[in-house]
Amino acid sequence: MRRLRTPLGFAAVASLAFLLFMVVLGPIIWVGEAVRTDTMALNQGPSAEHLVGTDGLGRDVLARVMVASRLTVGLALLATAIAVGGGLVIGGLPAVLGRRAGRLISGFIGLVVAFPGLLIALVLAVVLGSGGTSAALAIGLASVPAFARLTQTLAASVAGRDFVAAARVLGVGRVRMLFRHILPNIGEPLIVQATLGAGGALLAFAALSFLGLGVQAPDYDWGLLLNEGLNRVYLNPAAALAPGAAVALAGLAFNVLGEFAAQVFGGRATAAPAAGRSARPAPGDALTVEDLRVAYGDAEPVKGVSFSLEPGERVGLVGESGSGKSLTALAVAGLIEPPGVVHGTISSGETAMVFQDPMTSLNPALRVGTQLAEVARVHGRLSRKAAWERAVTRLTDVHIAAAARVVRQYPHELSGGMRQRAMIAMGLMGSPRVIIADEPTTALDVTVQKQILDLLREVSDRSGAAILLISHDLAVVGQLCSRVLVMYAGVIVEDLTVERLRAGPAHPYTRALLASVPDMAADRSQPLATIPGRMPSPAERLPGCAFAPRCPLADSRCHASPPPLENGVRCWHPVAGESVTVAEKGSEG
Amino acid sequence: MTALEFHGVRVRLGRGRQAKEIVRGVDLEVPSGTVVGLVGESGCGKSTLARSAVGLVPLAAGHVVPGRRRAVQLVFQDPYSSLDPRMTVGAAITEALPRRRLFARPSARPPGAAAAEVARFLDLVGLEAAHAQRLPGHLSGGQRQRVALARALAARPEVVIADEITSALDVSVQGMVLNLVKDIQRELGLTLLFISHNLAVVRYVSDRVAVMSEGRVVEEGPVDEVMGSPRDPYTRTLLESVPRLR
Repeated sequence: MRRLRTPLGFAAVASLAFLLFMVVLGPIIWVGEAVRTDTMALNQGPSAEHLVGTDGLGRDVLARVMVASRLTVGLALLATAIAVGGGLVIGGLPAVLGRRAGRLISGFIGLVVAFPGLLIALVLAVVLGSGGTSAALAIGLASVPAFARLTQTLAASVAGRDFVAAARVLGVGRVRMLFRHILPNIGEPLIVQATLGAGGALLAFAALSFLGLGVQAPDYDWGLLLNEGLNRVYLNPAAALAPGAAVALAGLAFNVLGEFAAQVFGGRATAAPAAGRSARPAPGDALTVEDLRVAYGDAEPVKGVSFSLEPGERVGLVGESGSGKSLTALAVAGLIEPPGVVHGTISSGETAMVFQDPMTSLNPALRVGTQLAEVARVHGRLSRKAAWERAVTRLTDVHIAAAARVVRQYPHELSGGMRQRAMIAMGLMGSPRVIIADEPTTALDVTVQKQILDLLREVSDRSGAAILLISHDLAVVGQLCSRVLVMYAGVIVEDLTVERLRAGPAHPYTRALLASVPDMAADRSQPLATIPGRMPSPAERLPGCAFAPRCPLADSRCHASPPPLENGVRCWHPVAGESVTVAEKGSEG
Repeated sequence: MTALEFHGVRVRLGRGRQAKEIVRGVDLEVPSGTVVGLVGESGCGKSTLARSAVGLVPLAAGHVVPGRRRAVQLVFQDPYSSLDPRMTVGAAITEALPRRRLFARPSARPPGAAAAEVARFLDLVGLEAAHAQRLPGHLSGGQRQRVALARALAARPEVVIADEITSALDVSVQGMVLNLVKDIQRELGLTLLFISHNLAVVRYVSDRVAVMSEGRVVEEGPVDEVMGSPRDPYTRTLLESVPRLR
């Protein structure tokens, strides 16, 4: 209902009401006026009695426009129904038939789509003979290829998804697959397209009737009225303008409805304006963050985070999805986009960013060297040649053999590990004081992961840059970092050294996280520890500790007031330092 | 329970000149009632091998036992794309239930029997009967993976292949799903091929483990033997690369 209050929603409701009124009530109210001939008033101009004048038999033109709306809109909808029906059948066939027949049909669709729709409609209208129904058939058939192509493309994209594969493994037949799994998942874009198509069919119909190929007298639709009116346009322009305006209004109404349908189905959310200006990183040594908050409307995924990195220090930021770790990293790099708003103070030295998937963070259309050189040309104001040379040097620094060849290659020609090395080299084109690496090895194999972690360590040792490593994997963080920040529900719950992490953390969440992951020494006869419940959503505001509802140690105080971060732990009942025992694992599981 | 056997399986993907042999002659046996882990890096052919066992990719050579449809079920990596977003959990599981008679339509079953079966399988994976009415969009990642598991089990398969079923899940949820897989396997005496790139996860779940590299199985044996004293140099590299805290 909320969507109806937007301007588009209001326009859509008004359009629907307008169309329904014209189609349902138009003929009932005005049919008497429309057929009554008045020999005393032939071919009159606008008057108080006849608002847009009369036609050659003295009939009221406005009344005829109103009455004609039912036939016009009805035939447009009939044409659309033919187009959608035919399109669904032909476009759905490749999914049902075998591979070879499917390819034949796709080829045929591609061939027919190449002809302009209106041209086909004209030819068909001539072949099928004049008259309302045959014109509807002509327009409908002419729009079949476009719908078939859309159906086929959408169906092919759904057919590639795992749930279709799963259904195939279960032995679901092709026809049932089409009706149960494919069509329901492509219905929304088809409905949107059909609504927009109805507007197009309306216009095409007006065109055919205007040319004398559509509705024939004594029936009449807007196109025919337009034709009649146009004959006398110099005597009474209103008689031509009225049906023209009706066509334009109804076409507009269909388009508004289609747009609204697209917004409702497509989830094309209207972006909420950002409330206030975001805090930007200020220049400083390494990295200091104070009371960082990131808000999206009412939701606050990062709820006051403070930490600092010394030059050359390597710190891990660990948490599960929804903990706010990635948003913290983006805020530090100044990459939060509206409607997100950042509060707090951030001061940092030159920052380089390494993302999870180097395939999407490198531009696939540019050579590796071009992308690296751009950094030096923009930030270092180096000449083209000097920038290119530095690119080669930096790629060599990250142990890419034959760097002179790699600079000329495109990202897709490199392996995942090579791309991530190139991404790190790109960060080194300037002289970064902080490298923010957001899950840099999650998309990589273990053997490559180790190489990338080793490389990051080497880079920070050599350049003195601090590293903030964002990861969900405590073991990965343990390999590279000396200190770990554990995030839960938007706050840092524990700030501890890796030695302490190994020996046994103090926060119940960190301990549970550690116990829930099987390592190479896990006891296989014991169940893994699990954390019951779920993390509170960013919009929820709990009065006490965010972990209290899931914590085995929580008491009334934990639920009532939030604990402060003391001695690196945000907990009212920190566990004294001993290792996570097997007994603890068992009892929690 | 039947064992799952791969005999000289080769799979070629792509057409014409771009065709590439992804699986290059795999012989592998999953003894009935046991869990065999299959580890390897991305692109080594382990997922393709799994898909060949359920008929999603054609074999270029060799054969798989059992070869019947539905006898082998596959649980996919991404629970966000392996469930039809338009189908309730109940409908998805009902679709997997075996038809009673050869030509009987689903509606020919006694009323309520399907619902009872759905409730039984939901209970097996630790979900409530009320979840049958939900759409996947209203479930968490862990719950979705439970539904995918229930759907596979509902087909009464002789063998289940789990392809990276915890990779898309958060670590705390991963633990829950792994516990569940172990419990169900023990309870039903399931024959399970458990595929993962995560060696610690495979070690925790499996009785035996096979290591795959470049389309071939390079080493196979009891978990403790392969992980404790690997014979193949590739297995050794793999084990050395695993990040460890302790």
